[in-house]
Amino acid sequence: MKHNEYKKLVQLALYSELNNDEQKELENHLKSCEECRKEMEMQKNLLNVISETEKKEIDDTLLHEARVQLRGALRMESGKQTFGFQFFLNLFEFFIPPYRMAIAGVTTLLIGFFIGYIFIKPSPEIRYITKNADGTENVFSQQDVKISNISFIDSDASDGEVEFEFDAVKPMHFKGRVDDPNVQSVLTYAMLNEQNPGSRLNSINAMVSENTSSFDPEIKKALITVAITDKNPGVKREALNLLKRLPYDEDIKQAYLYVLSSDTSSALRITAIKALIETVQSGQKLSPKDLKIFKEKSKDENNNYIRYLTKTILQEHD
Amino acid sequence: MSLSDNELIIQANNGNHSAFEELIYRYDKSVLSIALNYVHDNDDAKDIYQEVFIRVYRSLKKFEMRSEFSTWLFRIATNVCLTYKSRSKKHLQLSINEEFEEDEHKKSYELISDNRDPGELATNTELGSLISDAVDSLSDKQRITFTLKHYEGYKIREIAEMLNCKEGTVKKYLFDAIRNLRKNLDSVYAAAY
Repeated sequence: MKHNEYKKLVQLALYSELNNDEQKELENHLKSCEECRKEMEMQKNLLNVISETEKKEIDDTLLHEARVQLRGALRMESGKQTFGFQFFLNLFEFFIPPYRMAIAGVTTLLIGFFIGYIFIKPSPEIRYITKNADGTENVFSQQDVKISNISFIDSDASDGEVEFEFDAVKPMHFKGRVDDPNVQSVLTYAMLNEQNPGSRLNSINAMVSENTSSFDPEIKKALITVAITDKNPGVKREALNLLKRLPYDEDIKQAYLYVLSSDTSSALRITAIKALIETVQSGQKLSPKDLKIFKEKSKDENNNYIRYLTKTILQEHD
Repeated sequence: MSLSDNELIIQANNGNHSAFEELIYRYDKSVLSIALNYVHDNDDAKDIYQEVFIRVYRSLKKFEMRSEFSTWLFRIATNVCLTYKSRSKKHLQLSINEEFEEDEHKKSYELISDNRDPGELATNTELGSLISDAVDSLSDKQRITFTLKHYEGYKIREIAEMLNCKEGTVKKYLFDAIRNLRKNLDSVYAAAY
């Protein structure tokens, strides 16, 4: 074996990727080759340095946030596949692939005629269709689509073609009941992901309005996430207030306790402890672990009012 | 007794959302870890995580159970990582199905200027930043291979399955990644040790 090949074996050895024969061969070589021994030390040092400073562990908060956002996205996704759409999807499953596209096209055309017939007005939409390199069709632009962030993959037009990608945003308008699962999907997603704090706030208010007749467990999870992780204190406070309208349970209690013990805003800590006082006054019991948090708060809390409320809740519980 | 992945897939495909959640929660921490160690940014990692499982959700009915679910899932995860990086670069479009063609000259490896004192650089913060830059400067395939091997501890055989390439190809990505990291960090880790 050549000397350079032993150097590669050194790398694989550090990752425990050698079989027994290769391992023995390398060990024998290392006994007689100082250069390779140094190489091994250098590589060990390099990998140790990288390991010490670069490894990023997943903490529970990050995983929780990712899961909550995913739930919102999946709700949006499943919303797309409801009603007639799902029916047609299931129908298409019966057909073999070569006919699927044709049937989809014909069906889409029929739906278009049907919708046109119902509303008795022609569609103002103009669609420009292009073909991708693999021959599939692609909607290039539509009348009301905003195109932005164009980035070129291949801007060299010498062969008559260019390739690029872009964001196409189409405004949608929707009106529906707040307890409609589709509306709730959009609102949950907005509550967790919308950049504008005002929109997040409006989504929360709409979601838990007086007219909401039932609460999806996902809404509770989303509200808790917002109450704990949102960057805007106003949005957090609204989420905390709205949690009070949901049936009280252990998750909600833990959210209040988390805010009380960890949030830097005294206003939010007050909101949380007031909510907890209300639950205790309505007969809910606190666990010894919860009481320990209150006892610690009654000593360590900087805010006088919160210290006073903490003592109140301890007295209420006794 | 807990259900197997395939049993959960069947239930999920029949509309059981809890089964789908149970299935993905078996592996989602690993997916998030791969993403985070690939992009080094929490928000980007969550974006990748979401994209991976949306693709899984959309494609689960097409999964034929000929391979392990985890292999299929991590193949999607690595593909999303590579595509995500490509999007952020705005000028590259890569596919993991391509045979490797690494153009090492397209990357800038001059991370440490000659007039800086290595001893001075070797503070924790700067060292972390330099290493982060060095890892980020690897080509996409070198970086995903290095991430999967070094941080996630997968075997070369498993990485080859995820990237849909030969084990020899994975070894080459790994050797190239380490050679480039060494080139970039030589003065730093020599000073630190």
